[in-house]
Amino acid sequence: MNNTRKWVFRGFTLLVVLAIGAVMFVIGRGHTVYIDNKTLEYNGETYEALQRSEVYVGGERLSKLAKRERTMSTVIGQSFEMKLINTANKGDEPTEVTVKLTLPYGWDGIVVNIPGYLAGLPQDAWMTEFVSAPEPESEEEEEPGAFEDEIPMGDI
Amino acid sequence: MNLKPQGAGKSILNILRNNTVPIMFIIICSICIPISGFSPAYLLNEILTRLGRNAFLILSLLIPIMAGMGLNFGMTLGAMAGELALIFVSDWQIWGIPGVILAMIVSVPFSVVLGFICGKLLNMAKGREMITSYIISFFINGVYQLIVLYLMGSLIPIKHSSIKLPRGYGIRNTVSLLNMRQCIDNLLAIRIGGVKIPALTLLIIALMCLLIVWFRRTKLGQDMRAVGQDMQVARDAGIQVERTRIISIIISTVLAGFGMILYLQNIGNLSTYSAHSQVGMFCIAALLVGGASVDHASIGNVFLGAVLFHLMFIVAPQAGAKITGDSMIGEYFRVFVSYGVITMALIMYEMKKRRQKASIGEQLALAQREGSRHE
Repeated sequence: MNNTRKWVFRGFTLLVVLAIGAVMFVIGRGHTVYIDNKTLEYNGETYEALQRSEVYVGGERLSKLAKRERTMSTVIGQSFEMKLINTANKGDEPTEVTVKLTLPYGWDGIVVNIPGYLAGLPQDAWMTEFVSAPEPESEEEEEPGAFEDEIPMGDI
Repeated sequence: MNLKPQGAGKSILNILRNNTVPIMFIIICSICIPISGFSPAYLLNEILTRLGRNAFLILSLLIPIMAGMGLNFGMTLGAMAGELALIFVSDWQIWGIPGVILAMIVSVPFSVVLGFICGKLLNMAKGREMITSYIISFFINGVYQLIVLYLMGSLIPIKHSSIKLPRGYGIRNTVSLLNMRQCIDNLLAIRIGGVKIPALTLLIIALMCLLIVWFRRTKLGQDMRAVGQDMQVARDAGIQVERTRIISIIISTVLAGFGMILYLQNIGNLSTYSAHSQVGMFCIAALLVGGASVDHASIGNVFLGAVLFHLMFIVAPQAGAKITGDSMIGEYFRVFVSYGVITMALIMYEMKKRRQKASIGEQLALAQREGSRHE
């Protein structure tokens, strides 16, 4: 009986640890969100970039985007919220929009196109996966410094 | 009348003899601090940062000492387990505190397996645990290099090219942990007069200390102390000596893994092939500076050692530069002091053991002489 209780307790502890791990896996997923103020072509239509867009994330101004500009923000978890203060054309009154997004778990980098979002297009039009350009092949390949004979003291 | 001052003198001499290393470090630091010219706020800031960074790792050494296995140079194994976990977590893009927690969870199975292997091997080399654990750490370092350099990215899936070597397999020299850098240190951090106190990190360390105090009072903790005092007596008392020793090494390895993760989240990047190589040496040196010995160490030794050792690390290069005009003198100084302290502690331990043996021998001889006189 005592032995059974011990194993039940161990099994339960293991399950709790695994559950914590699973929760961390979901809530800790990091993403880089790239916010674009660029003209978007979709289904033959053109959605013009805004004259100016101020991007606020977490209450702090991230950037003031002119036409064809991009800014980025990092976020932990799948929900992302930003506030945009947009000026569509020169001389227009600025309008404020709060954007709440659910980010796809599997994407590391996510590009959000502001004109496309504001035009109410489907999500696949204004949200795309960011694919970084392939690294240029360097002649000197990085050599792992596994066998260095020095004493690394700097970061102690 | 004459006896009292002699007794007091003897006890002062004993205190000096038992605390030679900390006293020596206090003298060195008190000479170097004014020469270095650092402000008290700067020194306090640095000390708190380094205490938060290293104390957990040093605490992981206490349990094997309790079990009579000496200074666990095999804590490097735990450090490697922590690094492996961090590589995986970085590849899975889990950031911030969840990343640190997940890395700790992932490191546990690696640490347990490595600790078990280490414990088994140390049981085969009783009485020579320190040198054996030191060599085991070199052996496992080779296995680690093989895994990280050849198997990761080829057999073990690694997705991100920022982590992989350009050739397509193997891990880069440096893995960025920027997305979890100081996430624990900065959470609940308190700033007083330019000094940043990493409250959460210190709280975790305090909890760890409480856990060790509690553990010493448990049945397993008592068993470890009994094994540490005399294995034969412990075995006669029904304690499973080998099992207890293995558990102590496993616990130390797991804690070293956690400590390494805390350490690296503070640094903000992982030197894949060298971060773990000197960790054991410096933690052991710090513990010895705090006044611990091969067979006795306390939580107080951990903190005193971490403060004194790192204070010396901070002030020595600057003091060296001021005295000689060359900062490298200070760098060399702190390197040879680290190794020197370990050497000195080991020699002193052996001398103490011999002195104890000699005094027991003398007492026996005296008892025999008295016995024969009575007959």
